[in-house]
Amino acid sequence: MKDRIAQLSLNTYLDPHFLRLVTSFAEESAKAFGLSTAEALKLTLACEEIFTYLCQAGRTDETITVEAANGGYYAQVKFLFKTHEFNPRAFNLTASVSLEDQVSLEEMGLLIASRSVDRLYITGSPQQGLELVLVKEKSYPEQKDLETPKIKPTKNFSFRIPDPESLKLFVRLVVAHYPAHLYLPSFGFPGKVVDMIACGEYSAMVALGEQGQISGGIVWRWVGNKTVELFGPYVFHQPADSELANGLVDSCLARIAKTEAIGLTSRISTPELPKRYFEQIGSVDFIQPGGTSQPWPVYYRQLYEDPGCQVWAHPDLQGFLRAEYDRLSFAREICLTRHEGERRPPYSVFAAQFDRAHHQITLRAIWDGEDAAANLAQHIKVLRAENLPNIFFEIDLAQAWQANLTQALLENHFHPRLILPYGGQADVVVFQYQGGK
Amino acid sequence: MFDISLDRLVPEYIKKFEPYIPSKPDQELMKLYGCHHLYRLNNNENPLGPPLAAQEILSRFKPPKAAIYPSGDSYYLRQKLAAKHGLDPDQLLVGNGANEVITFVIKAFCQEGDNIITADKTFAVYEWVAEFSGFEARLVPLKNFCFDDQGMLDRIDERTKLVFICNPNNPTGTYWNEATLRRFLNTVAGRQIVVVDEAYFEFVEKEDYPDGIKLLREYPNLVVFRTFSKMYGLAGLRVGYLVGSLDVVNMIRRTCIVYSVNTLAQEAAVVALDDDDHLQRTRKLIRSEKASLKQQFDQLNLETQMAEGCFMMVKLPMSDTLAYRKLMTHGVMVRSMTGFRYPNWIRVSIGTNEAMEAFMTALKKILS
Repeated sequence: MKDRIAQLSLNTYLDPHFLRLVTSFAEESAKAFGLSTAEALKLTLACEEIFTYLCQAGRTDETITVEAANGGYYAQVKFLFKTHEFNPRAFNLTASVSLEDQVSLEEMGLLIASRSVDRLYITGSPQQGLELVLVKEKSYPEQKDLETPKIKPTKNFSFRIPDPESLKLFVRLVVAHYPAHLYLPSFGFPGKVVDMIACGEYSAMVALGEQGQISGGIVWRWVGNKTVELFGPYVFHQPADSELANGLVDSCLARIAKTEAIGLTSRISTPELPKRYFEQIGSVDFIQPGGTSQPWPVYYRQLYEDPGCQVWAHPDLQGFLRAEYDRLSFAREICLTRHEGERRPPYSVFAAQFDRAHHQITLRAIWDGEDAAANLAQHIKVLRAENLPNIFFEIDLAQAWQANLTQALLENHFHPRLILPYGGQADVVVFQYQGGK
Repeated sequence: MFDISLDRLVPEYIKKFEPYIPSKPDQELMKLYGCHHLYRLNNNENPLGPPLAAQEILSRFKPPKAAIYPSGDSYYLRQKLAAKHGLDPDQLLVGNGANEVITFVIKAFCQEGDNIITADKTFAVYEWVAEFSGFEARLVPLKNFCFDDQGMLDRIDERTKLVFICNPNNPTGTYWNEATLRRFLNTVAGRQIVVVDEAYFEFVEKEDYPDGIKLLREYPNLVVFRTFSKMYGLAGLRVGYLVGSLDVVNMIRRTCIVYSVNTLAQEAAVVALDDDDHLQRTRKLIRSEKASLKQQFDQLNLETQMAEGCFMMVKLPMSDTLAYRKLMTHGVMVRSMTGFRYPNWIRVSIGTNEAMEAFMTALKKILS
């Protein structure tokens, strides 16, 4: 579980006179948290644009809270505010500014902000308050071609939480022994992995052989509050009947079994993953840039006895859900939902998470809007132009408005592929774009 | 409306603690899983129910008595238990299930900075109560499915106040014999309170299995837990008790919640103690169904852990939580063991022959 991170807070008014206060707060916090001057300035620029935009949209007597936090390998600035005028469409990956359009020009600041940081999230609602989070990661030196020790097969293992140097060695061994699509892109930066684990966002265990040499390891991270994602297990030069992979999964389970995690997923699994510990909840097509496609299994393991839950579903998704829930023996009460003429916000916003190592992008809806289908079509156009063949869209069935995006997804040639149980607040359905075939 | 400053109000150890979510009522589960019946083989309940005399008490209960408070300290039940065990009634405290007496003990002896010691794979409530009360729970790994006496002794320090031993252990069924328990108590030598939880005492028929209550005269730092939820089939009424030396119990009484055991529970427990025939019938059923189950698991080449108690463990060639869901669709509820840190194992409570047959039929289906 992620530990609490260092956090500073500033309360001020939505008044342009306080712009310097906000930017100084962001810049000095970012530097104190370890960002380079250039990185800190990019984050500061994003904060400046956000605050300026919010000042235009709000009243000068309205208050705003700005929080800066040290995430170890990144710095984060969060804006907490209430406004009815906030239009987030410029945060879309596909947003562009037209000099002819005054509204579009006003939103240019948001566009600049979204491009200046590594991650951006918006949560909440205009009525109850919004949280806008900007994340800027630190730069790390790329892994050098350092020689890795030769590993001998061994029968007896012990499992340990690695110290930083052992962790870096483990990461180098993974890169030396496995193809790039079987590990996290950050493994190319051992120092970054050390910081990711030190801040509690990721965890790792390594297996030590009889002479104390690293013979394997496993990495996991929390995705939200209910799910843990597993990477590996990585096993170096051990015989096929080795129990090492089982031991690594056992050691991971022992660490997370009594936490709030409900499920353990494995989307980047090595051939050593012990299948009997998991259930294959489905697969997606992994398409290489050349066009060749291969099925890519996704594994899951529940950590608690499933109490069952209620999910929202558009009628067009009901058949898929019913069949999958029956196949996987998940107890779910499906509540149908559809748009019935009620007013929706005009513009939708989708967050994009890139994974260049796997030539893929995952979109998630962070804001509903009338233009969802058109916005999605625009995203597809941009992403296909960027030669990203693996395009996914995830919806959280705890949110009726997300379930209602089904129609927009189907219209845009997305097909439901699998369900990640409790992958969000409730189950998450993963759609894959299949219009390129 | 005011905003509640929960971040400031709630202690850090509470924020870190995960609430336990019990399973939904049978009707809800049956609706969710689409089954028409449900065999509950997850809570180690007595398949024969309460003794007949206790059933009589329940059926004859006069509703106006519900308006009257029960005896605040379970007066007659303590008298009865004292007579049965040859104790002073003040050596006994009765709680709303054994879970409540665990809380009494931890509250009585621990303060900030103290720790308790128990096993990593045992009844989880010792660990939970310690942690949500702000005390460290030191978990010592089991050795060959059994409490590791030396491992526990090694973890004791000057801030250790309590050591919890589940004897026989839930879920592995292993136990310390009298020699091991005595050796442990002699080494502790009164520096800590040693709690021996004997929730499954009445199921054990082995000669070397120790009766903790009989050791109280020699070891004044010993506290023994017993319950009416298992052998006596009164789990729904929640009655458990602890026994200790007069001085120790006098301290624990200060943290004891009075009036927490209801009238029906007290009366049913009093008469349940007289029914030796119920004990014999239950033991016979458990013995025979356990042997049959073990044989069938062996035929399926499944690894088992079977020792004392009204349950056994079996390791499946699949995820235990997946097995739980699949068995639920067949109307059978077992305990998945990932939460006990035994991935891919399930614990099956021994039920009636009909329930065990339903379980085996369902298990064979999901494994095929």
